[in-house]
Amino acid sequence: MRKLQKQSLLVVEDSDEDFAALERAIAKSKTYDHSLHRCEDGEEALDFLYHEGEYENSTRFPRPSLIVLDLNLPGTDGREVLAALKKDRELQSIPIVIFSTSSNPKDIDACYQHGISSYMVKPMDTNRLNKLVITFLEYWFKVVELPN
Amino acid sequence: MHFGSQNILAATTDASINLEDLDLNNCDREPIHIPNLIQPHGCLLVISADEYKILQVSLNTRQFLGIEPQELLGKYLRDVIGEKQTTVVSNCLSEAFESINPLPIKITIDQSTLIFDGIVHSSQNTIVLELEPTEAREEANFFDFYKLIKSPINRIQQADNLDKLCNVVVREIKAITGFDRVMVYRFNQAGAGKVIAEAAPAELEPFLGLHYPDTDIPKQAKYLYTLNLLRLIPDVTYEPVGLIPQFNPLTNKPLDMSLSVLRSVSPLHTEYLNNMGVGASMSISLIENNQLWGLIACHHNSPKKVSYQVRTVCEFIGQIASSELVAREKSQDIDYQIKLKSIQSQFVEIISQAEELEVSLTRNPHLLLDLVGAEGVALSFGNKITLIGNTPSEQEITTMLSWLENQFGEDAIYKIDSLGQVYPLEEKSKSIASGLLALLISRVQKTFILWFRPEVIQTVDWAGNPTKLIMAEADGTIRISPRKSFAKWSETVKQKSLPWKACEVEAALELRSSIISIMLRKVDELTQINQELTRSNTELDAFTYIASHDLKEPLRGIYNYSSFLIEDYSEILDESGIDKLNTLMRLAHRMEDLINSLLHYSRLNRAELQLHLIDVNDLVAGVLDLISASARDTKVEFKIPRSLPSIKCDRTQVNELFTNLITNGIKYNNQSEKTIEIGYLDPDNPIYTTKISEYPDGTTPKTIFYVKDNGIGIRQRHIESIFRIFKRLHGQKKYGGGTGAGLTIAKKIVERHGGEIWVESIYKEGSSFYFTLQ
Repeated sequence: MRKLQKQSLLVVEDSDEDFAALERAIAKSKTYDHSLHRCEDGEEALDFLYHEGEYENSTRFPRPSLIVLDLNLPGTDGREVLAALKKDRELQSIPIVIFSTSSNPKDIDACYQHGISSYMVKPMDTNRLNKLVITFLEYWFKVVELPN
Repeated sequence: MHFGSQNILAATTDASINLEDLDLNNCDREPIHIPNLIQPHGCLLVISADEYKILQVSLNTRQFLGIEPQELLGKYLRDVIGEKQTTVVSNCLSEAFESINPLPIKITIDQSTLIFDGIVHSSQNTIVLELEPTEAREEANFFDFYKLIKSPINRIQQADNLDKLCNVVVREIKAITGFDRVMVYRFNQAGAGKVIAEAAPAELEPFLGLHYPDTDIPKQAKYLYTLNLLRLIPDVTYEPVGLIPQFNPLTNKPLDMSLSVLRSVSPLHTEYLNNMGVGASMSISLIENNQLWGLIACHHNSPKKVSYQVRTVCEFIGQIASSELVAREKSQDIDYQIKLKSIQSQFVEIISQAEELEVSLTRNPHLLLDLVGAEGVALSFGNKITLIGNTPSEQEITTMLSWLENQFGEDAIYKIDSLGQVYPLEEKSKSIASGLLALLISRVQKTFILWFRPEVIQTVDWAGNPTKLIMAEADGTIRISPRKSFAKWSETVKQKSLPWKACEVEAALELRSSIISIMLRKVDELTQINQELTRSNTELDAFTYIASHDLKEPLRGIYNYSSFLIEDYSEILDESGIDKLNTLMRLAHRMEDLINSLLHYSRLNRAELQLHLIDVNDLVAGVLDLISASARDTKVEFKIPRSLPSIKCDRTQVNELFTNLITNGIKYNNQSEKTIEIGYLDPDNPIYTTKISEYPDGTTPKTIFYVKDNGIGIRQRHIESIFRIFKRLHGQKKYGGGTGAGLTIAKKIVERHGGEIWVESIYKEGSSFYFTLQ
């Protein structure tokens, strides 16, 4: 197994409350203690990944091993971010997990067509959220191998 | 000018008819343009166009030229008329020969000089030279011509109506030519002629006002009148002269004499004139729009010669008269046309502003009738017929329409002034519907306008009884021959209306184009409204969808933060505080359910139906399995009395439909022994027959399914509202809660399949939901 320090998670989420709930669930799970960065919209996420703007310093802001992406974002939408990343030869290897309110089959199918790794619907219930986060962290950071 | 005349004549005549067999049965097909005979008052030479060699001559050359016909054949034209005059002939072929003819031709034989009017034209690559002895010894000049025509033309131009004009024409022609009787003879649309002006001495029996049947002048003769504007027979009792050789040696065919001035006329025609007591005749064509409008017919009681010069003057007067006739005739109708135009524009304005075309047409019955001068009108819109004024009965018109539909052909209009002759009208309709003007607006939508005109009893004076033309021969065969009696014979014409005038037909056609443009505009407007509706529907769908997502986010925040409060501050909060937070979370949950239902409902509208033939037995079995698994603790008996059919539907949606209906049957049920029956109705079931009778005839038979329970039932006053979204009849905590979207979704599924859902219920006894899918 690779050293855990190298692993990092990028969360693209515009809602402070949803992010707070997610952070709280991650903390509660006590299974993830590595770097976690949040971008509030699609533009910021692309800047972060391409080392542009305030994220110019690539050592301070290394590319993540996994991206959690919300679909409905202000400005550049999650769908556009997804399409841009999957077209980029360097970035297309980073697994993307969608975390969205939408349970619409059309959204789900479209995202898989763009090459996402998995799709999770945001639950209403905190208990369900906690369970979901534990499973998610277990799977991505313990069970599977992530690209470098 | 004569281009194509050959083809027309060849197509309408039959060259194989022998002159001796000719009668009126076949005279429409008599090839009068190739008689191979000429009249004897001149001679004819056919000359090759290249070498000017004589190919064919009339057998009377000795009489005119002093040379035997056989001697002329094979000679060059210059050997007969000299080099100089041959050059004149050849020069004139390069010009329009009407303006050249006649050529003065001098031939010197045995020291005496003969002077002829030479008339040249070309026919089938040969040159035809016709020679008539010149009457006047001096050459005609322009000033003679001018003197002859100046005053007639002045008088023609001063005549201010058609009657006066025709009277001037007959008087002037009589004065110039000296014929005993000169008439203007006019053809009607059916081809029959009527004498409308006459100049004749008092001792002659007047022909003015008499009618002549169409058969008097056969079709191909009428056609030749449009090519040759003047025809002369100086002696009706003439002996025709043949040609030698019989056939043109270049073509091996008889000579086409369409344009020949000497051409011999049909023996039927001379017999006809003979019977009339005519010794000489001349006719000048009156042409309107290339159609034969009428003739100036000149009769003389004895043979009569008319010089080519005088004939040219007459022809010219005929042409002037033709152009003046058109103008006079138009002005006669002009007041009426102006009236029609104003009716038409009023009408178009009314119908273009109206919402309903049908209503606007029938609301102004007088305008609709006056537009074409009718006394009755029937409007057919699809299966609906509206009658205005005097018309046959609605039933008779319905029958007539199926016949009428096939009468239009390529045209949008059908007109007739004696409908009873072509269509079996009912007895009482014969006098009110003698004339029919029918307008086809749309064949597909069966839109027609039928105008009717009543019978006008007319008296027609025929020159002789036209039906007496048919005579039985001794051997029993029927022979039709020229009439012998021309004494006036009166006929009363019944069941015939006044004819439909060209301007009335035009008004009807213009009404049609206005109606069609209005219809098209309405279609355009509808298309636009439809587009807007589609757009606003799509927008509404998108709105529901987006709003549902955006509503969920803050809701989740409220829920999550309430639970964080309980988790983090439970020590500080008392029981009532925790209770209130739980309520907050429960409400947020409920709101999420509602939003989810709304989302699901809007998605049903957008999802495309996947139609397949589905065995409803399998589908229902799957539904029941799932329901039994989730409701294990309730006791339900499912009854399926007989095997269910297979139908074409969307599996997922119909699955949900059955699930919702069956779940409702269990949920809203207080019985200890719950029963749910699933089946479909027999065609003789009263519910089935009542429902099917609501559909139009010819609807394909439908399967009516039902889901019947022994549950709590629905009060009659609530029956209407149960399908409304989020409408619940019970408190949230009763009957397991729910959002109140189940039946709305069921209804939407049924409607998307083109079906119908309804409920019959007895309060406290149970409900039956019936539905069809397509």
